[in-house]
Amino acid sequence: MATIKTVTTPAIAAPLAETSVLGWMRKNLFSSVFNTLLTFFTLYIIYMAVKGLWVWGIADAVWIAENRRECFAISTDGACWAGIIAWLDNIFYGRYPREELWRINLGLFLLFIWMVPLWLPRVKAKISIGMTTVFLYPFLGGYLFAGSAKGIFMQIMLTVAIVCLVANTMHSIIGLFSGRSLPEFLSSLAGRKKLSDKTQRNIFLGFLALIFLLVYVWQMSWSLERVPWTKWGGLFLTLVIAGIGIASALPGGIILALGRRSRMPVIRVLSTAFIELFRSVPIITVLFMATTMFPLFMPQGFVLNKLVQVIIAVCLFNAAYMAETVRGGLQTIPKGQFEGAHTIGLGYWQTMGLIVMPQALKHMIPNIVGNFISLLKDTTLVSIIGLFDVLGMLRSISKDLPWLGLHKEPLVFGAILFFLICFTMSKYSRHLEAKLSTDHHN
Amino acid sequence: MAASDNSKKPVHIRPQEQFDFFHDERVRSIFYQILTVAAVGLAGWYLVSNTAQNLEARGMQTGFGFLNVAAGFDSYFKLIPNEAGVGTYGRIFIIGILNTLYVSFLAIIFSTILGFFIGVLRLSKNWLVSKVALAYVEIFRNTPFLIQVIFWYIGVFSLLPKVRNSIDLSAGAELLLLNNRGLYMPWPVPGKLFWLTGVALIIAILAVVILRRWAKKRQDKTGQIFSTFIPSAAFLIFLPGTVYLMTGMPLGWDLPQLEGFNFVGGATLPPSFVTLLVALSIYHASYTAEMVRAGILSVNKGQYDAAHSIGLRGGRVMSLVIIPQAMPAIVPPMISNWMSTIKNSSLAIAIGYPDLVSLFMQTSLNQAGYAIELVGMTMAFYMFISLLISWLLNIYNKRVQLVER
Repeated sequence: MATIKTVTTPAIAAPLAETSVLGWMRKNLFSSVFNTLLTFFTLYIIYMAVKGLWVWGIADAVWIAENRRECFAISTDGACWAGIIAWLDNIFYGRYPREELWRINLGLFLLFIWMVPLWLPRVKAKISIGMTTVFLYPFLGGYLFAGSAKGIFMQIMLTVAIVCLVANTMHSIIGLFSGRSLPEFLSSLAGRKKLSDKTQRNIFLGFLALIFLLVYVWQMSWSLERVPWTKWGGLFLTLVIAGIGIASALPGGIILALGRRSRMPVIRVLSTAFIELFRSVPIITVLFMATTMFPLFMPQGFVLNKLVQVIIAVCLFNAAYMAETVRGGLQTIPKGQFEGAHTIGLGYWQTMGLIVMPQALKHMIPNIVGNFISLLKDTTLVSIIGLFDVLGMLRSISKDLPWLGLHKEPLVFGAILFFLICFTMSKYSRHLEAKLSTDHHN
Repeated sequence: MAASDNSKKPVHIRPQEQFDFFHDERVRSIFYQILTVAAVGLAGWYLVSNTAQNLEARGMQTGFGFLNVAAGFDSYFKLIPNEAGVGTYGRIFIIGILNTLYVSFLAIIFSTILGFFIGVLRLSKNWLVSKVALAYVEIFRNTPFLIQVIFWYIGVFSLLPKVRNSIDLSAGAELLLLNNRGLYMPWPVPGKLFWLTGVALIIAILAVVILRRWAKKRQDKTGQIFSTFIPSAAFLIFLPGTVYLMTGMPLGWDLPQLEGFNFVGGATLPPSFVTLLVALSIYHASYTAEMVRAGILSVNKGQYDAAHSIGLRGGRVMSLVIIPQAMPAIVPPMISNWMSTIKNSSLAIAIGYPDLVSLFMQTSLNQAGYAIELVGMTMAFYMFISLLISWLLNIYNKRVQLVER
């Protein structure tokens, strides 16, 4: 009699040596005598480093003290974080008037509100939201940070910016709940039946005009006190310089990169010369050039303040670097894409804007973020030419009477601060790269 | 008839050769170029005329005549002799260039060696080791280089002991001494016949090159591998060594000696130099490490399997199969990393090491003025180096392409 097994034998679990923690350790840490020795040696080094840092930075550190002398009285071989804590406002905001700090906070908060929709999956029209951030937010932020009386141009631009922010926010909230855009929502309020695109647009424009009027009248009732740029400082100033740098570098870089690939020799030569000039010199020489030569370039009687000089230098420098990033991205696009676009009758700008750039930008994201990280790191160089950015502020702690000679802790704090910002950004760009990737091969 | 139909001449439809002035690509291209030239030219003319007016209004002098004028200051670290009030600004320029190149050259060597080491650790099969290497890379890449330089200077090198309590890096032999005035080390003093040893070394190097070529040719022809390592080492050690001994060891060492309050003799590197060297090496090694890792990973896994399957052993798999294929991916980014090492050495200004930017763009500019000339010359130097390096890179790329076929 034949026995037929009708029940499938359950799979035997993988041997414990392969899957358990011990198995993993055996494979990755103790696979040979040499490896075991290496593991113990590395553990010893890690132990020494962590122990040293722990004792200096946490266990023996002083957190509350009035001055450095007090720190020493409490502990001689620990860090004196009390100095950092006392200077925290200065590190973040520089010498900005303390009663006006809300303006910086509000400005950054509004920027956050403005940009949040870019990360919300259900919100439509992300490109226009992004564009308005780059082109209109600077007016709102700039006025909040700098203040002073508003001219007619500033009044209009400020109003436009506020209207745009309001519309963006309403649009995102509506989008989040119903998946519709703001014009669609407005016309659904107006009547039940489906309206034509043109009517929808008119309703939307009318709505914008209405808010514009309201905001315009409202903004005439107040104005902000002027805060001169010399009072700007700390991380705030670093972010302003880096923010303007990156926002202008992207369009500048795209134009330069297209210029370098252009078939017109004059444009190609000029773009290449610009890019190569700024890429081959250290940024500190560009900053020195800005502070020593820009005043000579200006017409007589016209004085450019140092912050503007620095910002122009940073923009020129970064546009050149961004141009190479963009060019690298353009080179990843196969020739067939250009030819295909020409075949269906698209012109140069249509080919670039609709076919090539959207694909190329995706490839560029990690490098663009990389550029931004190095721009943020390079911004610390403005402290050499006398601006009080975050590093300038950190270095002036040691010159403050109560904290005289406190050098190491501010630098360590600065390093940690930059590490957190830069590391988060680079990790996020990896994530974004993986998310946007449409390649199926692995 | 059908025949008459066939004999009909085919009709050619010619595209109309119509020249439309406003919609012709060539016309448009020329128009745009003229427009660009006009805009750039106008902007340039505007800046130049403003500058000329400003220079006149401020009574500033221009021209390169100042290069022959004696500078009222001196660099405390220099590779060629100079004296304040005697040496010209031209000489200061040369000193700055040499100082920049000296520290960058050493930093490039150290950062490349350290970077290869860290890159190999990154690829280690030992999880802990590879994570430690990763931590190194992430920490040094994600903090500003300027903060690192200042930290090494203030946090490490200015906390060094005084001269009397110097740290002896040579473990009691008093050869390498580190204190807050710098790094002291012995310096060779060549005797009369020492040049013969040099000649012997050059002959030995030539012999090794010829030997290697011959070995490679033989391998290409017969497939037999001739190990050149031991003969090469023998040539390099014995030939100069024998000559050195025969000429009576004509090399003396100038040792650092404690005299009064300071060390005398030997060679000294100031703390700012050592700081910059250490900071540059460590920072750029973190970039090199990633390049090495990416390069080695870029080689297809099948290459390892194939190399093993034809019977190659571990070391030979790397040296004959993997490394040669990884090099084209490693070398170009590494050379641009060398270029940024040279550029980053300009942060010497933060710690007072007298490099080109600090000597020429800061001190000279404050002393003599001539902003345009000084800025222009400094930038021209960096551009020259950059062009030189991209020229070398092009040569390398061409050679690699030839090999690839």
